[in-house]
Amino acid sequence: MKRLLLALFVVLAMVSFSFAAGTIKIGVQAPITGKFASEGQGIDNAVRLWVEQVNAKGGLLGKKIEVITCDDEGTAVKAAICARELVNKGVIAVIGSYTSTATEAAQATYFRAGVLQTSDGTSDTLVKHGYWTFFRNSSPNSAEGKFTAEFFMKFKKYKRIATISDYSTFSVDLEKAVYENTKKLGGNIVYRGKIKSGDQNFTPILTKIKSYNPDVIYFSGYYTDGGLIRAQMKQLGIKADFVGGDSNDNREFVKLAGSAAAGAYIINVPLPEYLPYDIAKKFLADYRAKYHEDPPSIWTLFNVDGLRAILHAIEVLKTTDTKKIADYLHNELKDFPGITGPITWDKNGERITSAYMAYEIQPNGDYKIVYPTK
Amino acid sequence: MEIFFQQLINGLTIGSIYALVALGYTMVYGVMKLINFAHGDLVALSAYIGLVIMMQLTGASIPNYIVIPAVFIITAIVIAIIGVILERIAYRPLRHAPRLSAVVSALGAGMVIQNGIMLIWGPRPKIYPSDVVPAVYWNIGGVSIGLMQLIILVLSLILMVVLYIFVNKTKIGTAIRASAIDQLAAKLMGIDVNKIIVMIFVIGSSLGSVGGLFIGMYYKGIYFNMGWIYGLNAFVAAIIGGIGNIPGAMLGGMLLGLFNAFIAGYVSTTWADAFTYILLIIILIFRPTGILGERVAEKV
Repeated sequence: MKRLLLALFVVLAMVSFSFAAGTIKIGVQAPITGKFASEGQGIDNAVRLWVEQVNAKGGLLGKKIEVITCDDEGTAVKAAICARELVNKGVIAVIGSYTSTATEAAQATYFRAGVLQTSDGTSDTLVKHGYWTFFRNSSPNSAEGKFTAEFFMKFKKYKRIATISDYSTFSVDLEKAVYENTKKLGGNIVYRGKIKSGDQNFTPILTKIKSYNPDVIYFSGYYTDGGLIRAQMKQLGIKADFVGGDSNDNREFVKLAGSAAAGAYIINVPLPEYLPYDIAKKFLADYRAKYHEDPPSIWTLFNVDGLRAILHAIEVLKTTDTKKIADYLHNELKDFPGITGPITWDKNGERITSAYMAYEIQPNGDYKIVYPTK
Repeated sequence: MEIFFQQLINGLTIGSIYALVALGYTMVYGVMKLINFAHGDLVALSAYIGLVIMMQLTGASIPNYIVIPAVFIITAIVIAIIGVILERIAYRPLRHAPRLSAVVSALGAGMVIQNGIMLIWGPRPKIYPSDVVPAVYWNIGGVSIGLMQLIILVLSLILMVVLYIFVNKTKIGTAIRASAIDQLAAKLMGIDVNKIIVMIFVIGSSLGSVGGLFIGMYYKGIYFNMGWIYGLNAFVAAIIGGIGNIPGAMLGGMLLGLFNAFIAGYVSTTWADAFTYILLIIILIFRPTGILGERVAEKV
């Protein structure tokens, strides 16, 4: 009996202590173990690092921020359990998850509890449920299509455009998005063709394209083919530019294209080390100093940006009322300076400011950001 | 007209590679009546072995004009040895078994080689260094031809001429032809058919290895499963030309390369492969033994 009382006392003390301290609780739902463990751990590490820095400066609204992590293993089942657990622990916002599946499985629970959620999930269904609690913090294919079209029409001012895709769903969709957006901007697409991935000999199609005399050849497939296309363009004396979609962003593209790689453009969400923003440089340096490695990918930084936007809203509004924060993020926040570029959300919680960048490959194989121009 | 000549060059380049690989198929078939389905994977293996040898040699600061011929010669020797071992393990025990057993054995051997490549070098593509053959291109009236393309065309031509002379003018060549016509009669004439078969594998594998090195040096990226695609195309080339017929394999390879390039250039890139098989079917309908294949008179 005595022991039970003691236990009860300890529990009460702990509960009252946490109330007294009045922390702001932020959840991290991420795949800490399993196939995507490195990505999940990256998200957790980055969130904890940022919170540590905020706490070191005295926290938010006079309170410390507390991070509660739940491992969803990247699966829907675990994600639903995590959502329940984090809601029960009283978080006001959740960062994650990494995969669209795990994010979607948890969405409804957070919505019903009025808990904010930001994720890097790219699946289009994520923003179609009409949950006011959800904010997507990465860009889908359609956004890359729009960015690419703007790069073509506003920056390079191409007059004649040729596009190539392979037969994969990803490549076909991306090419379609680029095609439609370019048409919308009044672009002149003179040729649309398809290659079979892995064919290696692309000289026949390139010779055909050459007769259309384009200013640019756009390729929406993978680097293994893109590098060869670039090399064979050069070999055939095709003067047109080469623009590759995000899957051409691989070190081996340069090796495959050889000396022809110089001058090729590649469009992708930026690699962390190429982020030009001061805040990104500082954060990456801090991350490296603390964890002795780089963040696993850009997706880590998308998630930290979600956290930063929410903390910014709390600071500005001086409240932790999630409804008010969501309103602010939907309507008031414009071009918030993120690590991954300016952040603005539309009414559905879709990030409308593109984080894409166009790189030009330099003669030594390095990347140089050419668009958006700073 | 520029486009026509450009597609001609494009077609001849890839056609030479098909022809070199097709020779391996056709020679083995000619003597053993066996479709050596492992040949394509042997070609893929030669690209990998060639890369390893090249990396070893370029590390030793030897000039490129020595490195490249050395790579070709060493790789050809290694692949010839592997080809002979393959014959010893996978085909010789089945020489008197039903033909289907040997074909299955060939497919199995191909899979072993392909998976072996994947286990040793991994599933990701390997890339040839880009500075071994300088990326020099000439532009003649709007038609572009590269140094590597020129090497492919000239070297393939030389090898094919040498092979033709070897088979038609030398004693061993005569023995090969005799074995191809009738193994038993050849044995009665004192020809060691086993030695001839080893010879066939040595020649076929070395020619295939040259094809594999061309793929690596020209297209740069090599894949563990690329043998299947090149093997299949070369096999089709051998059939188009008349399987078992050496000039037929050369002609078939060149025709296939040209046909692919012109269909892709003038009709549709999407349909290029389909048209290849339509061509194959048409040829088989009108000339079942291929373009240069001999008509076998059926005795009634």
